[in-house]
Amino acid sequence: MKFPLNAGMAKDARDNWESPTQFVLACVSYAVGLGNVWRFPYLCQMHGGGGFLIPYLLMLLLEGVPLFYLELAIGQKMRLGSIGAWTAISPYLGGIGLASVVTSMYLCLYYNIINAWSFWYLFHSFQSVLPWAACPVNSNRTGPMEECEKASPTQYFFYRETLNISPSIEKNGGIQTGQALCFLLAWVITYLFIIRGVKSTGKVVYFTATFPYVVLLIYLIRGMTLHGALNGVKYMFTPKMEELANPTTWINAATQIFFSLGLGFGSLIAFASYNQYHNNFERQAIIVSLINSGTSIFASIVTFAIYGFKATINYENCLDRTRILLLNSFNLAEDSITINNVFEMIEKLNTTFPEQFAELSNKLEDCSLENELSTAVEGTGLAFIVYSEAIKNMPLSQLWSVLYFFMLLMLGMGSMLGNITAITTPLRDFKFLSHVSNEALNGFVCVLCLLLGLGFTTRSGNYWFTMFNDYGATFSLLLIVLFEVISVSYIYGIKRFEKDIEDMLGHRPNWFWKIMWGGISPLLLIGLFLFYVINYIQGGTPTYQAWNKDLGKSEQTEYPVFGQAFIGLLLVSSVSCIPLTALYIFCQRRKHAQRHKQQHTVNTVAA
Amino acid sequence: TPNAWEVSPALRKMLGRIVFFLCLPSVLAAQLCKPNAAEGFKVRLSIKTALGDKAYEWNRNQRFLFQAAIAFAMSHHLDLEFNVSNILVCDETPRVSFWFVVTSPDDPSRLVGKESVELAVRASRGRINNILLLNDATLEFVGVLPTLAAPVKPATPSWLIVFGVVIGIVGAGIVFLLVSTVVQKKRKENEVAEEEDDDEEAQMKRTAGNEGIYNTSFSESDRNTQM
Repeated sequence: MKFPLNAGMAKDARDNWESPTQFVLACVSYAVGLGNVWRFPYLCQMHGGGGFLIPYLLMLLLEGVPLFYLELAIGQKMRLGSIGAWTAISPYLGGIGLASVVTSMYLCLYYNIINAWSFWYLFHSFQSVLPWAACPVNSNRTGPMEECEKASPTQYFFYRETLNISPSIEKNGGIQTGQALCFLLAWVITYLFIIRGVKSTGKVVYFTATFPYVVLLIYLIRGMTLHGALNGVKYMFTPKMEELANPTTWINAATQIFFSLGLGFGSLIAFASYNQYHNNFERQAIIVSLINSGTSIFASIVTFAIYGFKATINYENCLDRTRILLLNSFNLAEDSITINNVFEMIEKLNTTFPEQFAELSNKLEDCSLENELSTAVEGTGLAFIVYSEAIKNMPLSQLWSVLYFFMLLMLGMGSMLGNITAITTPLRDFKFLSHVSNEALNGFVCVLCLLLGLGFTTRSGNYWFTMFNDYGATFSLLLIVLFEVISVSYIYGIKRFEKDIEDMLGHRPNWFWKIMWGGISPLLLIGLFLFYVINYIQGGTPTYQAWNKDLGKSEQTEYPVFGQAFIGLLLVSSVSCIPLTALYIFCQRRKHAQRHKQQHTVNTVAA
Repeated sequence: TPNAWEVSPALRKMLGRIVFFLCLPSVLAAQLCKPNAAEGFKVRLSIKTALGDKAYEWNRNQRFLFQAAIAFAMSHHLDLEFNVSNILVCDETPRVSFWFVVTSPDDPSRLVGKESVELAVRASRGRINNILLLNDATLEFVGVLPTLAAPVKPATPSWLIVFGVVIGIVGAGIVFLLVSTVVQKKRKENEVAEEEDDDEEAQMKRTAGNEGIYNTSFSESDRNTQM
């Protein structure tokens, strides 16, 4: 008998990574993102430099690697996206997957705006003079723009020329065309990278995972040779052990490990679902986690070299300004005061001309290298303002600028791949979408996210971005991963999980992993979760930094009522999926059972 | 004989007048040019900052050059003939800063108004800077705002050009991938159809080779039974 080619069977065969290397690179590309560059150095600085590595590495061991291992195991075993995988573990737990998808959706909406900004800066680097190097001239050409003078050229370029930011979140403003164009480009490129699912993603990650390291290495070499860089590195690595007594240090270490690895979004489950059944994910989980943490440390060395350079330049500029002030006020010859003897001259002049000196006292700045080094910045402020300030002072600044923003793009795009795959994979698993082609489904998701995300390109877009960044994915992730660990350890059962792993890998997981999954990690997560809740309640009304153009700096402003309501919505909408789905399934099952009972009774009657 | 110093009153008066008129310019100058003069400007030079090793020493000749430059600027702006002697400089300091005032060419005791001087300096600022090998920052006229060069704005901003190139390439890539997917699908469909036909033929050949006749009534090539 002849068996006709069953087209249906070919469709059911799942896409696979072409090689385990692609999978590892995809995980690295996803986990190594902007947070490694702009959050970890900040935490290092705030919590005692080199000493921060102790809680960081400890948390990596207790929390990071075990949870990473867990998610990869689930994905590889169930061979389904997050919704399907959790439904397979227990139908009542499908809500965990749904919550992951909702959180990923929020992340996708706001994450690509960062890539849009990177594009904007990248394209503006192709000019003879970098636009953030000097203030633009005002309308009557007598001097620089007022806002720029009060702030600094780099801040002005970011807040005014890039974002054209409004004074508060209430004032909407229109969509900025430049922003919107770059945002469109970011989504078009994202679509190009995921157009055929893992077949295209697998090829792209060879580049997005490796290129950032090339740039970081180049920057390390360049950074170390910059004037004053060693000041920064020394400052960072001088451990302040007393910080270890502060509980915030440990909490920040735990949250950093947690978010840096990208747990709870469903991306790891999605990536692992495309693996061969017997892929050795245990080794890969350890490798990827170590690479991620190593990259954080590596990136912070580079960042601190850059910090040191920038701080030294600012300090020397401050000294120079003081020197000129003294020269002009006391009409001394130009070479009588140099940068090196400014402080001595201040003393000498104070004693010789006390009254004249007293007049100057309010104009005299306090120049301190310590102060410059201790101004810690994180987030978009570090990436787009501090770094660009350092870059404009380097010789051949256009080249360094292009390299740097291209690296930011690779980091951001790599993470986007994971974020978007976390949405498309569960959607793909639904039967009613199986006849839709890969390209069409991915295109639909991209277009939807593009349209919804246009709100971030308005004049108040940065404030909405901050809101999403602070509340959209932080709290819900902790809860999601807590549920994940408890579900696997206690509902699914560690013994069953062990057997599945033995089935895939050929050996049972070590007692270490079992202790982590069953006890330590859930306890840590509960602790973090409680801390977040207490912090949130104690913090009072949530606030954000609004840019004041008259003063040329950011001010802390409270969110308006609709802003606070939206925050509440963000927090509740993803988390509530878990109980709601469980309830829904429960009702469905009861209806089903009742109908079954009715049928049964009908049959007996009929019989 | 009369005393050599015993001069007649008339001669004395004439001598006095001559002395007075000789001293008048410097006295006038001293009175006209002083620090914080109403119609004067303070000038500050930072020669060593601007020129480093090639810095020149500020002396009488350099001052003369400065006066000539200002005289040029005034003549150019007001269309009158100003002389170097019309530019009075005083209160020089080791900083190399001084005050200057401009007297009218018609009446050396009258000063030219501050606004005119400012306009003249602003109009020829670049020229004055170049004469002294300095720039707006190192040759300061305290209180006079510099006229900065208008920013050069190209017709299309350069970032838009790069953006256009990148989005064009990416768009082309997407179109190429979509088209190749469609083409691949069509090719696969044709292949499947061909394979089915091939299978049929192969089977027919096989059964024919086994000295049997392939009963086509059971073949799947014709799904619908013909009435």
